[in-house]
Amino acid sequence: MSSVSDVLRQLTVVFTEFEGRLEQTPLIRKLTRGRFALADYHAFLIGLRQQVKDGALWMSRAASNVDDEHLELRSSLMRHAVTEHRDFRLLEADYVAAGGELAAIRGAEKNIGSEALSAWMFHEASKPNPFGLLGAMWIIEGLGSIKAAEWGALVRQRLDLPDHAVRFLLYHGENDVEHIKEFEEMLAMVLPDAETAARIVKSAQVTARLYALQIEEITA
Amino acid sequence: MTQLREAYITGTGVFLPGEPVPVERMEDHLGRIAGRDSLLGRRALRWNGVETRHYALAADGRATHSNAGMCAQAVRAALEAAALEPADLSFLAAATTQGDYLVPGHAANVHGELGGGPLEIASFQSVCGSSLMAAKAAWLSVRAGEHDVAVAGASEFSSRWFQPAFYEGTALVDAKGRLRAEADYLRFTLSDGAGAVVMEPAPRPQGLSLKVEFIDLVSLADRFDPCMWAGASVEGRTDPLATWAFAGPAAAHAAGAVALLQDFELLKRVIRAWVGVYLQKVDQGRIVPGQVDHLLCHYSARSLREEIVSLLEKTAGMIPEQKWFSNLASVGNIGSASIWVMLDAFLKSGRLKPSEKVLCVVPESGRAFVGFMMLEAVG
Repeated sequence: MSSVSDVLRQLTVVFTEFEGRLEQTPLIRKLTRGRFALADYHAFLIGLRQQVKDGALWMSRAASNVDDEHLELRSSLMRHAVTEHRDFRLLEADYVAAGGELAAIRGAEKNIGSEALSAWMFHEASKPNPFGLLGAMWIIEGLGSIKAAEWGALVRQRLDLPDHAVRFLLYHGENDVEHIKEFEEMLAMVLPDAETAARIVKSAQVTARLYALQIEEITA
Repeated sequence: MTQLREAYITGTGVFLPGEPVPVERMEDHLGRIAGRDSLLGRRALRWNGVETRHYALAADGRATHSNAGMCAQAVRAALEAAALEPADLSFLAAATTQGDYLVPGHAANVHGELGGGPLEIASFQSVCGSSLMAAKAAWLSVRAGEHDVAVAGASEFSSRWFQPAFYEGTALVDAKGRLRAEADYLRFTLSDGAGAVVMEPAPRPQGLSLKVEFIDLVSLADRFDPCMWAGASVEGRTDPLATWAFAGPAAAHAAGAVALLQDFELLKRVIRAWVGVYLQKVDQGRIVPGQVDHLLCHYSARSLREEIVSLLEKTAGMIPEQKWFSNLASVGNIGSASIWVMLDAFLKSGRLKPSEKVLCVVPESGRAFVGFMMLEAVG
């Protein structure tokens, strides 16, 4: 039970469980039940920014801990980090376009979930050959390619916002197919291997739980 | 403790009202909202892949059968297929989305139409998945030794809920006479009919029977709001205290809280959740795709199937296309009755061979439910 398709199946199960957990958080309930206000959107962006900002950083650290036997994977992680490391600026611009003060989002503290998520990511990324983090990437990428566009469309509709105030959420959805394909290729670089497979799934579970905690802790 | 018995499906029966109705005549039976053709109808039909279906409403709007009456006919046909009679039946589990009465339960009215002497009954009200809820009750009652002849029946009379009077003069129709998509889509998605299966503790002496290996039912209503519902307006559907009976029937009707409605956005998330439950069964070894010889999947749209297929292929959960059997195109989506109508047609197709395994999958968008039934051909 350690081939790419076996791991993808387990990761899909983890992701659908994660989606179910997100669905029950107060913030997403507001969004899906039509009680989402501008203040919720501001709080949402502030909450997301921390992880988005850290994302490229832990990925870079992970890349620096990948050994010479896995140069292809190291390249992929580095490319990923480069692609995403400025995304938090886009998110800040959305915040300002939606009526927020730049200083407010830049000066905001991480919430309890973001603290836990960030600490976990950097801890994992600091280990030699941190292949388990592919599971974390599956969760984060899945959010970007599946959930962000859904949330973005709902936010735009509920708050009657222009596109340029919801670019971060909407823009992620457009890279869907390419991201998943790239992810499958990365899995193939470290699988089949039972221990690595188990670590990838475990890392997806932990990341999903801590990410959901981050969303749970977002309050307007 | 007494050991559990095996239980077998020894007969299936179907009742489809009237002649098959082709696409171009469907709206004649449902009636036209404010006298105008539906905007969504043709598109929904192409989407659903339905070519013909059956209605218990004649083209002049007259009802030809009741919901319970159709179920009783299917139960009779199933008993006959098992070489039994209504008098042999001792447990009737009946499923539907919306019975003829609000009260009492559907099974009581099916029994009333069926006759045949005093019976144990159980009513199951949900959407498509109510079929397997009833099947599980019938299966367990035979397994436990409570009954030697049990029937699980399911029936739908959806079309009466799609008549113009359910929408006209309500918040569901705008000033230009256009019906909201949440309502219009379902008018062209669901239709009428009934199906039933007989369960006994031994296979039939001749011919094939189906041993029921397991029936697993999973609700995810803890995380999802209602996705296909009646009894609340589009805006008020997530508040149980805003449901129809609090406002009274007239105000509820005006608010559009009586018609059957579907949330398409939520449906996309629910579909992924169904796939997650299935893949978990695969991961646990409960379902081994390579050991399934035939797949009968109840799906309400062809597109839904394609969405599921692409994800399943990547995760080694896919059961190859040539093993799928469906008669959706010719009989339409009959809600809870669909799986039995499909199983009946499958058995009559002659495809099934002894010792082959048949997996039935019934997803229900109502509030995110999915059921699985594994069968093995014996005899």
